[in-house]
Amino acid sequence: MLIYILRRLLVMIPVTILISIIGFIIIQAPPGDFVSSYIAGLEAQGDIIEPELIDSLRARYGLGEPIYVQYFKWVSSFIEGDLGYSMIYREPVVDIIAQRLPSSFTISLLSLILVFVIGIPIGILSATKQYSLADYSFTVVGFLGVATPNFLLALVGLWLLFKWTGTVAIGLYSPEMQNAPFGLAKFLDLVGHIWLPALIVGTAGTAELIRTMRANLLDELPKQYVTVARARGVKPTKLLYKYPLRIAINPVISTVGWLLPVLVEGEVLVSLVLGLPTIAPVLLDSLMQQDMFLATSIIMILGILTLVGTLLSDILLAIVDPRIRGAV
Amino acid sequence: MTEIQSGGTAIDEMAPSTEGMNGSLLSVRDLQTHFFSREGVVKAVDGVSFDIKPGEILGIAGESGCGKSVTSQSILRILPKNGKIVGGEILFQNEDRLIDLATEDADGRVLRDIRGKDIAMIFQEPMSAFSPVHTVGDQIIETIRIHQEVSKEEAHDQAIEMLRRVGMPNPARNIDEYTFNLSGGMRQRAMVALSLSCRPKLLIADEPTTAVDVTIQAQMLELLRDIQADLGMAIIMITHDLGVIAELTDRVMIMYLGKEVEHGTVEDVFHRPQHPYTRGLLASIPKMEPGRVEIEPIEGVVPNPYAMPSGCKFHTRCPDFIEGVCERHEPPLTAVARGHEVSCFLYGGREALE
Ligand SMILES: Nc1ncnc2c1ncn2[C@@H]1O[C@H](COP(=O)(O)OP(=O)(O)OP(=O)(O)O)[C@@H](O)[C@H]1O
Ligand code: SF4
Ligand SMILES: [Mg+2]
Repeated sequence: MLIYILRRLLVMIPVTILISIIGFIIIQAPPGDFVSSYIAGLEAQGDIIEPELIDSLRARYGLGEPIYVQYFKWVSSFIEGDLGYSMIYREPVVDIIAQRLPSSFTISLLSLILVFVIGIPIGILSATKQYSLADYSFTVVGFLGVATPNFLLALVGLWLLFKWTGTVAIGLYSPEMQNAPFGLAKFLDLVGHIWLPALIVGTAGTAELIRTMRANLLDELPKQYVTVARARGVKPTKLLYKYPLRIAINPVISTVGWLLPVLVEGEVLVSLVLGLPTIAPVLLDSLMQQDMFLATSIIMILGILTLVGTLLSDILLAIVDPRIRGAV
Repeated sequence: MTEIQSGGTAIDEMAPSTEGMNGSLLSVRDLQTHFFSREGVVKAVDGVSFDIKPGEILGIAGESGCGKSVTSQSILRILPKNGKIVGGEILFQNEDRLIDLATEDADGRVLRDIRGKDIAMIFQEPMSAFSPVHTVGDQIIETIRIHQEVSKEEAHDQAIEMLRRVGMPNPARNIDEYTFNLSGGMRQRAMVALSLSCRPKLLIADEPTTAVDVTIQAQMLELLRDIQADLGMAIIMITHDLGVIAELTDRVMIMYLGKEVEHGTVEDVFHRPQHPYTRGLLASIPKMEPGRVEIEPIEGVVPNPYAMPSGCKFHTRCPDFIEGVCERHEPPLTAVARGHEVSCFLYGGREALE
C-alpha cells in the first residue's frame, strides 16, 4: 500500500512539471516579453512605473537569458509563493486567489456531495428496476441534465426563486451580511445562498453519475459470483449491496479526481449569472484581458488540485479494491 | 408412463404428496421451464422427470443448449428474470418435510434456507464464482453463518477445516486470499469448499470441468469422488463430457432440446444405447477417456429454439425417422428394461396413437 502511494506520488512529479511548462508557455504567449507587456498594461492604466522596478522585474525573471533559465526563475518564484501581480485587479495574484478560491472550493465540494447523494441512489434504482417507468423517467431527466447548459439552469433557478420567494439569489451572501464578521448567522446565510449554485453546477455531473452507476451495476448484476451468492442463500438485499454494488461503485470513486475541475469549469457561467465571488469569473476575465500572471496561476493551481484529487481517489480506490492493491 | 406424458401447463397448486418418493431425495416431475422474451417463448425445459436418491450420482448430458443448466437453475430457483417454471414439480425431501421447490417463492425463506445448506451448486468458472473484492474465507464464512448459528471464530475454524478437506495447501493462509492470487487448481478447490461449506445433501455440478485444463479436470473428478465418499452427498453432474459421466456417475439422463430422450444406468445407456440421438452421441466418440472426449456434433444442426420442430424434437436429424409418425406426434417414454427408458417411437408408443 505504501509502495503504491509512493509510486503514485512519483508519477505526479513529471505531470506537475508538464503543467508548469504549459503555464510558462501561456505566460509567454502574448507578443513581446512578458515584463514589457505587463508594464505596458500597467502604463495603459495610467500608472507611473519607476525604471528600477522594470529592471528588478527583468532580473527576477531572467529576461534576456536563455529560455530555460527564464523558466527556472519563474518556477522558483512560483514555488516561493510569488505569483506575480495582476494588472486588471491591481493586487498581488496571491491575494486574489486567497479571496476567491475558498468559495469556489466550497461550491465545488458541495456540488460533489450533491452529485453523489443524488446520483448513486438513482443509478442503483435505475439498474435494479431496469426498463421500469422510474428507469425511463430518470434516463430522460438525465439526458436533459446533460444537455441543458448550466447558465440556462442558473437563469431558470434565479427566476423560479424570485417567483416563489421574492428574493434575488445573487451572490453568496445577502447584502446586509456581505461585510459582517463570519459567525453562525453569516454561515446560515451562506447555506441559504449556496445550495442553488451547487445544485446547478452539479446537474451535469449528477446525470453523468446516474448513467455510470446504472451501467456499472447492470454489468455486475449478471456476473456469476452474484448467482453463486444467491445459490448460497444470501438475502436479496445483501446480494445487491455486498457484492455487485461494492464493485460497481469503484469506478465512481475514481471519478472524484477529474470531477472537481469539471465542476470548477461548470461554475464559470453559473458564477457569472449568479454573480458569485468565485475564481471562475476571474479566470475568464484574466484570459480575455491577457492578465497572464493571474491566468497562469489559476490554471496551475487548478491543475495541481486535480492531481491531488486524482491521487486521493486512487488511494481510496486501492483501499476498497484489493485487485488494485494486488496489482502493485 | 402416461402420467409423465400428461404435461400440465399450470403449476399444481396442491400440496405435494410423499407418495411415490420411494426414498428419493429429489424428484423432478414433468418440469417445464420456459423463457419469455420479445422474440417469443423458448421452451428450454419441456417435460423432464428424474429422481435422485441420497448419495447417488446422476449424470445429465446433451449438446449445448439442450436445457441442462436451466434444469439445475430451476431446482435452486435461480433462473434469470425472464425464465419461469410453468409446470411440473420439484419435490425435495428435507428431513421429514416434503417441499415442492417449483411452487415456493424464489427468494423466500424456504428456498434461501435450502440453498447452500441442503442443495449446493458448483459452477463452470471457478474464477468468477468468488467476488473479486472479497477473500475466499469471507464468502465461505458468510455461507456458514447464514445457515448455522455459530460465532465468527467457529465459522472461521469450520472454513479452514473445509479448505483442508478439499486439499488446499495452506488453509490458514488461503482463507485470507483473494481468488486472483490463487492458481487455477486452487481456485477450483476453493470453489468446491465454498459449495460444500454446509455439507449439503445434494450437490449440483454444472460443467465443473469444462473451463479447466486436463490435469485440473482429473484432480477435480478425484476430489469430487473423494468428497462424495466422505460426506455421502448426492451429486447431479452436468457435462458435455461423456467420459466424465462414465467415470463418475451411477445413472445418466440424456437430454435433447429440453426433453429427456433416454435414461438408465451408465451400463444401460453406454453399452445398450437405444435412442437414435444417444447412439449418435456415442458414435461420435472414438474412445472413452475423461478429459479428451467431448460430444461432437451429430449430423444436422440444432434447431432454432424459437422454432422447435413438431412431434419428436429429434426428427429433423434422425436417421431412423418414421414418416407420418415422428413429425406429428411426441414419442412417450417407454421402458426397454428395468430403469432404462427411452422416448422414441422405435420402442413403442405408436399403438396409443390410433
Ligand atoms: N435468459 C434466457 N433467455 C432466453 N433463453 C434462454 C435464457 N437462458 C437460457 N436460454 C435458452 O434455454 C435453452 C437451454 O439453455 P441451457 O443454458 O440450459 O443449455 P445447456 O444445456 O446448459 O447448454 P450448455 O451445454 O451450452 O451449457 C437454450 O436454448 C438457451 O438459448
Ligand atoms: S421418435 Fe422417430 S424421429 Fe424421434 S428419435 Fe425415434 S425414430 Fe427418430
Ligand atoms: Mg449450461
